[in-house]
Amino acid sequence: MDKSLFHIFRNTPLGRETLLQSIYFCKTVGAYPMIYIPTTTKFLMYFENDVVQVDLDDTYLTSPQTARTHAAQLVEQAGIKPVFFTPKHYTASTLPDIPTHFDFMCCPRSISDLSNKIGLGYIGPRVRRVVQAAPFPVLIPSPAFKEWKSITVFFGGSANAVNALRLGINLGRATGMDLNVFTQVGRRKVDYYEKVIADSGLEKDVQRYVKNWQRFESGKFRENLYEVPHDALVVLGAFGHGLIRDFIFGSKMEMIQSTVTNSMLIVGPNYVARL
Amino acid sequence: MRHIKPWLAVKRWTLFRIDDRLLLIVIAVIVGNFSGLASVVLNRSIETMVEWLTPLRANWWAFLLPGAGAAASSLFLDKIMREGAGHGVPEVIYAVSRHGGLLRFRSSFSRLISSCLTIGSGGSAGPEAPVVISGAAIGSTIARKFALNDRQRVTLVGCGAAAGISSIFNAPIAGMVFAVEVILGEWKALNIIPVAIASVAGTEISRLLQGNQIAFTHRTFNIHFVDILASIGLAVAAAGSAVLLTRMLRFMAKLCSHSAGPTWLRAAAGGCAVGLIAVALPDVLGEGYAPTRIMINGAFTTGLAFVSITLLAKISATALTLGWGGSGGIFAPCLAIGSLLGLSFQRALVLAWPAAGLANEGCFALLGMAGLISGMLQAPLTGIFLIVEITGGYDVILPLIIVSVISTTMCHYFEPASYYLHELVERGQLLRPGTDARVLSDMSVMEVIEKDCIAVPPDMRLREFTQIISISHRNYFPVEDPATGRFLGMIYLDDIRPYLFDPVMYDAVVMGEIMNTDIETVRPDDDLTDVLNKMDRKKLFSMPVVNNQRFLGMISKATLLDRYRRELAVQTS
Repeated sequence: MDKSLFHIFRNTPLGRETLLQSIYFCKTVGAYPMIYIPTTTKFLMYFENDVVQVDLDDTYLTSPQTARTHAAQLVEQAGIKPVFFTPKHYTASTLPDIPTHFDFMCCPRSISDLSNKIGLGYIGPRVRRVVQAAPFPVLIPSPAFKEWKSITVFFGGSANAVNALRLGINLGRATGMDLNVFTQVGRRKVDYYEKVIADSGLEKDVQRYVKNWQRFESGKFRENLYEVPHDALVVLGAFGHGLIRDFIFGSKMEMIQSTVTNSMLIVGPNYVARL
Repeated sequence: MRHIKPWLAVKRWTLFRIDDRLLLIVIAVIVGNFSGLASVVLNRSIETMVEWLTPLRANWWAFLLPGAGAAASSLFLDKIMREGAGHGVPEVIYAVSRHGGLLRFRSSFSRLISSCLTIGSGGSAGPEAPVVISGAAIGSTIARKFALNDRQRVTLVGCGAAAGISSIFNAPIAGMVFAVEVILGEWKALNIIPVAIASVAGTEISRLLQGNQIAFTHRTFNIHFVDILASIGLAVAAAGSAVLLTRMLRFMAKLCSHSAGPTWLRAAAGGCAVGLIAVALPDVLGEGYAPTRIMINGAFTTGLAFVSITLLAKISATALTLGWGGSGGIFAPCLAIGSLLGLSFQRALVLAWPAAGLANEGCFALLGMAGLISGMLQAPLTGIFLIVEITGGYDVILPLIIVSVISTTMCHYFEPASYYLHELVERGQLLRPGTDARVLSDMSVMEVIEKDCIAVPPDMRLREFTQIISISHRNYFPVEDPATGRFLGMIYLDDIRPYLFDPVMYDAVVMGEIMNTDIETVRPDDDLTDVLNKMDRKKLFSMPVVNNQRFLGMISKATLLDRYRRELAVQTS
């Protein structure tokens, strides 16, 4: 248990669901949650080549006197020793710096209290910035706590998708869960995806760990998403393309996150997975 | 799209990758232009706002205007930009010290708008600090776009700050000196060349759009020995005023933080107080350039008592504006306060010794400005070059140097850190390049960790352990629970030496019995400064690194020193 997941605790029923999701993730993959109970509504994350200000809404400061106890109770119930994070450095007196050396980070779809935003179809701008800049995968949990029993990796052949596949293989190995791969073949041929995997040196691992590689040569992508098990952790790459391409053609990640209700582990362009 | 994409990725342009210095020079021009533009925009916006509000100043309720401006400024920063109040310069220095100059993009415009609202409505603050953070954020953003490394990014942050100051004062040397002396804290050709180029670019933009104006034109001064002697007294007075202003600013900020109510309301209260002062003394309003010009020209006709009261009022107004949450800097108020001080000092001397034959009061106004700036910023060169450039002459250079140097030295005695650095020094975050704290802050525990330690289980007998000793070149061995991997304690070779020469004990002693459980440990995210302090305090040469009850490795002074030397060489090369 030497990997850590950074979790910003919100002392509300919704925050409890998110923390339960983080705890389950940690127990399953052999990590421990590093819990941050914010005392201000904003903080900075300094990445290698970017700085992201995360603005929290006021619900993150709900009942500070009970927040630590509530979080500790949930973590202890899972048999894990609670570890709390306290910022050491401050850019300004009300602006703590949060380090970025964690292995995972948990973010709700939106760092907002509005339930329509926390639901499907919307990823807040700050969460996007974190995913884009982070050297770690970001766990976006389903709105209500749900255990996952398998792992589904979305593989579209891009460099980010290869990273996502590597991460999926690592998680499959660590958890012993079934690992499935989902590919919408589209205009390219199946050979193309196999070649990408071979070029990435993942051929043997895919043969060994992937239980089922679903390759959809027909049907619309959105419709085929029904085949993703409802109790799977979805692993996918995001923001691998430029803004212009996403603006014109749309983003696969957007479509997936607005359609499936599963918890997602998103791999941004700065994450490098190693087997 | 496939063919266009590589061209869109600016960071991959081969042209700029040929030579790092060339790259920095080219980007410095871009940063200088944008920063210069930002300064001009702020300057013009403040002028326009002042123009709009001037007709309203005749109304009885005009004292509310600075309050409304400060409230709007605070609301804008807090609710829209989600940034804290303040002038932002410590944030720039902090980013340079600790995070390789990474600044948020929003800082490139947020302070411009908020300070325009504060100063334009009559708050006593200057536009220079907002221009510094804006230029620095522009430099940081452009550096990120070009995917430059930390060192290059820091230089571009300096370029942005230099261009901002150069543009707003039409003073390229002052901008350059300010950036190197205050922001970067490192005089190296690698920094100075791009910073100088950015300063020129920023100044040129300003000259192109606003004309080649000198902020404070003056007539020639004849400096005699008596003026040089008098300048020593003025330096002491300037240091006193700088200390007074610093402490007033801090006192007001403390008072404000202990007051109830939302931040915008507190800013409004501070602004309204300034408005009330301005009913009697209108010269305290705004950045104060207009009265400063009059003083330098020797045309400020009011008497000594009135000038002295205005001096105290301006200090109070600045503290009320900035301490209570208005947005802006202290540069311009320092110039105004300095000129009022110089004037008061000269008039007091003339009153005491009418036959002394002192230079005209405009000269002392200039010297006062330099004294205040040097004292507040504890940056004598910035003070000297700024006054020389914004007045367009070297007539007063000798007393100028004396005033700046003495004022800086005296202020340093009462306030060990300048106004900009005080907060950082208090938090232990001022990490200038090449200093011990900076070298250590640039290294992490995980970079110096030694992982070649052999872990042993608690039930291992001494006989088996002797075999481990024979293959290990370490003197310490972590003891781990084989089932859970939990770190239980350490065995130091020195502790078990007595047993090693007694074969009878080989099967009688197990590691769990003789391990040391009361040990100081280090976490991977601990600061190396704290780790070294702990080692010194406990007289230790190495410590185990433990995270979440897992042993990760050892950290030793020897490895730390080796890595420290390499890091120091990188920083000082």
